[in-house]
Amino acid sequence: MTALLRIFAVLLALLSVAPAQEAQSEPPVETDVSARSKALELAGAWSNDGYKIRDGYWSGELEPNRPKFLEVNLFAGNEYWFSGAVVPPARKIAVSLFDGKGKPVAYQVYENGTMAGAGFLPDTSGRYFVKVTLVEGEKSQFCLLYSYK
Amino acid sequence: MNRMRRLFFAAVPALFAGGLQAAGTAMTPEQIKGAERIESVTIPMPGEFFAAIGKQTRPNWVKLVRTGTPAATANRAQIALMLGTLVADGYIAVEAQDSQGVKNIGKEIINLAKKLNVSQSVLGRGNSLNDFASNNDWSALREELEATQNEVKLDMEEQKDGSLVTLVSLGAWARGTEIVSGLVDGAYTPESARLLHQPAIIEYLLRQIDVLPAGLQNDALIAGIRANLEKSLAFVQAATPSDQDVKGLRQEMTVIVEEITKGSKES
Repeated sequence: MTALLRIFAVLLALLSVAPAQEAQSEPPVETDVSARSKALELAGAWSNDGYKIRDGYWSGELEPNRPKFLEVNLFAGNEYWFSGAVVPPARKIAVSLFDGKGKPVAYQVYENGTMAGAGFLPDTSGRYFVKVTLVEGEKSQFCLLYSYK
Repeated sequence: MNRMRRLFFAAVPALFAGGLQAAGTAMTPEQIKGAERIESVTIPMPGEFFAAIGKQTRPNWVKLVRTGTPAATANRAQIALMLGTLVADGYIAVEAQDSQGVKNIGKEIINLAKKLNVSQSVLGRGNSLNDFASNNDWSALREELEATQNEVKLDMEEQKDGSLVTLVSLGAWARGTEIVSGLVDGAYTPESARLLHQPAIIEYLLRQIDVLPAGLQNDALIAGIRANLEKSLAFVQAATPSDQDVKGLRQEMTVIVEEITKGSKES
């Protein structure tokens, strides 16, 4: 598949994520299970571009002004997408990345209200940190997982 | 910025409003210290390691597929470690696109899991591995191997065997690192050696061993592995491990894997 086709596939997949959310006729069950299913929904978009989703995930409660950090270990040369999600009453989440010393690194941003992603291609193998922040809304369950290729 | 990075970051920004960015402020020492470590996310699977080395060299995965039945043992710690090494072997067979190899390894994983009294749902994973292997669905197999490992760990925790969980991860990581360090040692380049810079993983595993119940910590196998891990730490500190570092790491990992897979250990 050419690079152009791959981009198109990712675009289509992402476009399919947002409407799916809007189409929900019933309020979601506000547990980490539904946060996980939303995170998986977002990660599924990257899968169409060859990313493999890790089975493990990070979940818990996210509060305003109290971001959470997770240590991950990445390999130079691999491409990563970190996919995070929250459920109402949270309204907006952000995912950001730091190197092993806690310094910010440049990453690709995807933000869509209760879902957010960070794409990253590490230059160096080793430890990194993922930060999840509740940008808008009230305390809620969150889930984060990642994909690689 | 290399070509791959340019492509990656050029491809996706058009799709998103956010584009490329970095967080504003650095983490505080307290935030670094307080960061969570979730084993099923913090510790990479062998598949990630193999994906990375596959971009640096062209490994002959077929030659690396390990066959045979694990040695018999009643030592539950050793069984957990063996199970981890088998999961890594499963990934090697997937890279080799060896359908029968995956089936055989899947069978051995389930046989070992049975010795740890896992639930019926784990046994169902064995069937899934078989089905995906029959269909040559290599992508699904990579995810299913990790899911199988995580389900075994979940069962261990539910059966108050939580202390064995880390040993499964340790076995998988050691076998994966043995393979990758061997590949790097065989055709050393600084780029491929950089993949081995993973001190945080060894530090994590050492901390996990240090909180095992005293009986397990005193187990000859675990104590030996701990010593090998401590020695290994020196070989992965440099961002670009030297040729000698790679040889040293390979030697320590080979010892660990041999100790795990050879005959019964007294617990």
